[in-house]
Amino acid sequence: MSRNRLTIVLSQAPGKHPAKRSLEESLAANLIMEPGLDVSIVPNLYDLGPDHTGRMYLEGISGDLLVLTWHFPRAAFWLLDRIGVRGHEGLTQIKPPQTDDDEEEGESAAPKQGIGSAGELPDRHIYCLDLRDFNTPDPYLAEVRRIALESRERTEGKLAANANSIAPLLQIGVQTVPVGTNGHGSLMKAFTPELLLTPPDRRWYPVIDYSRCTNCLECLDFCLFGVYGVDSMERILVETQDSCKKGCPACSRVCPEQAIMFPEYKTAAIAGAPVGAISGLKIDLTRLFGGEVKDAMSQAVEERDRELVADGRTAVGMSVGLPKRQGEKQAGPRDDLDKLMDDLDALEL
Amino acid sequence: MSEPLQFDMGKFAAVLPADLRYCRNHMWCRPGTAGTHPFGFTSYAIRLMQDVYFLDWSVSPGAVVALKQQIGNIETSKAVSDLFTPIAGIVAEFNAEVLRDPSAINVDGYGRGWLFELTGTLDGTMDVQGYLDFLTANWDQTQRIIKGQMGD
Repeated sequence: MSRNRLTIVLSQAPGKHPAKRSLEESLAANLIMEPGLDVSIVPNLYDLGPDHTGRMYLEGISGDLLVLTWHFPRAAFWLLDRIGVRGHEGLTQIKPPQTDDDEEEGESAAPKQGIGSAGELPDRHIYCLDLRDFNTPDPYLAEVRRIALESRERTEGKLAANANSIAPLLQIGVQTVPVGTNGHGSLMKAFTPELLLTPPDRRWYPVIDYSRCTNCLECLDFCLFGVYGVDSMERILVETQDSCKKGCPACSRVCPEQAIMFPEYKTAAIAGAPVGAISGLKIDLTRLFGGEVKDAMSQAVEERDRELVADGRTAVGMSVGLPKRQGEKQAGPRDDLDKLMDDLDALEL
Repeated sequence: MSEPLQFDMGKFAAVLPADLRYCRNHMWCRPGTAGTHPFGFTSYAIRLMQDVYFLDWSVSPGAVVALKQQIGNIETSKAVSDLFTPIAGIVAEFNAEVLRDPSAINVDGYGRGWLFELTGTLDGTMDVQGYLDFLTANWDQTQRIIKGQMGD
């Protein structure tokens, strides 16, 4: 039964921002009234540790999943992938209000192909919506209904195609919908709202977008805190995420493919905004207006040094783990600058 | 009065009036007679930020401020930024009009769109040619910063 339903998970904003809570509450109240949906609320997705009930609940969901979070969809999708909640990326049609003022939409020229998520993806779709796009529930409800329909049609299509080959489903236990839970029946009975909503501690770690990551391992060379490692297939992974230094996004700056995200960092590019889409994103001009002008690499080195010193270690400056591409960079700056000029021109409508 | 200078940002030319002083944080200053001077964003800064949506100050008039002290923040259609003092001194006044409706910053950045008045000496500020040279010298790096953030 529930395998064929669309599960909706609302990931709360950390803290107690009244406007955010209010949107979450009115969304939840509306979604619970929608027929054919399982709706659950979990604390901030990014903060869920391995033994948090909310995370185990997410891991137990098998069908299509729609997650509403206060993160960029790209960050949320790969965050879920990281905790083993994997599937094909579901495309949303929801658009932040300000994207209508610019030229083309979506990704620019196709980037280098990333190495992709490890192993075969389960046959299901995961949709992520960004709760920062609108401050009223209506646009989200409309998109949830559209996705629910899309999900149902896809499932029915698959069922029809496999009608003869499929084994009859065995229903174990009594299908019940306990008051106040998510409607997953006996299978999900253990996930009471109280357990699901246990506030987790705040965490800080990088999330890798494997659709962009080329496994160049520059992050592994650069980070001196042992956050990164490789798996048995020699693929980069965030191995010891809790060794990461709170607030430090340095590895994200050195990544040549913008594949490393810190979903809660203040600037959009690092927080997982769509790559290549300038429209609708905000650049952080603080360094210009503060009179300090640094490139990404110097800033990354400075951030790393600050954390090294805070750890009682010695600052290493530019001497350790800097990408080899620094040398090549001098070769072709002309193209980059030319392209940037066009981008700057595009800023004006 | 001499002609304003221009700084070319792609196809856009940022106009820099000749009678103003300029600061490294891309603010202009109109030197006042009694040591109190209005400041505002240069057309270069406004061009990078685009339409100003929200402006907020974290200090009050009368506050003694150091150079490069953070005194507020801004959100525009294309950017967010903290804001810093262009000189050391005392905050005399904030422009109440742009706090209510910041659109004057875009419409009349060198006039009604002024931001605040500071009392202090204009040490370290540049004349228009100095600012133009400063912009020219830093343009490549500025583009790299913006480019890095656009993730392109």
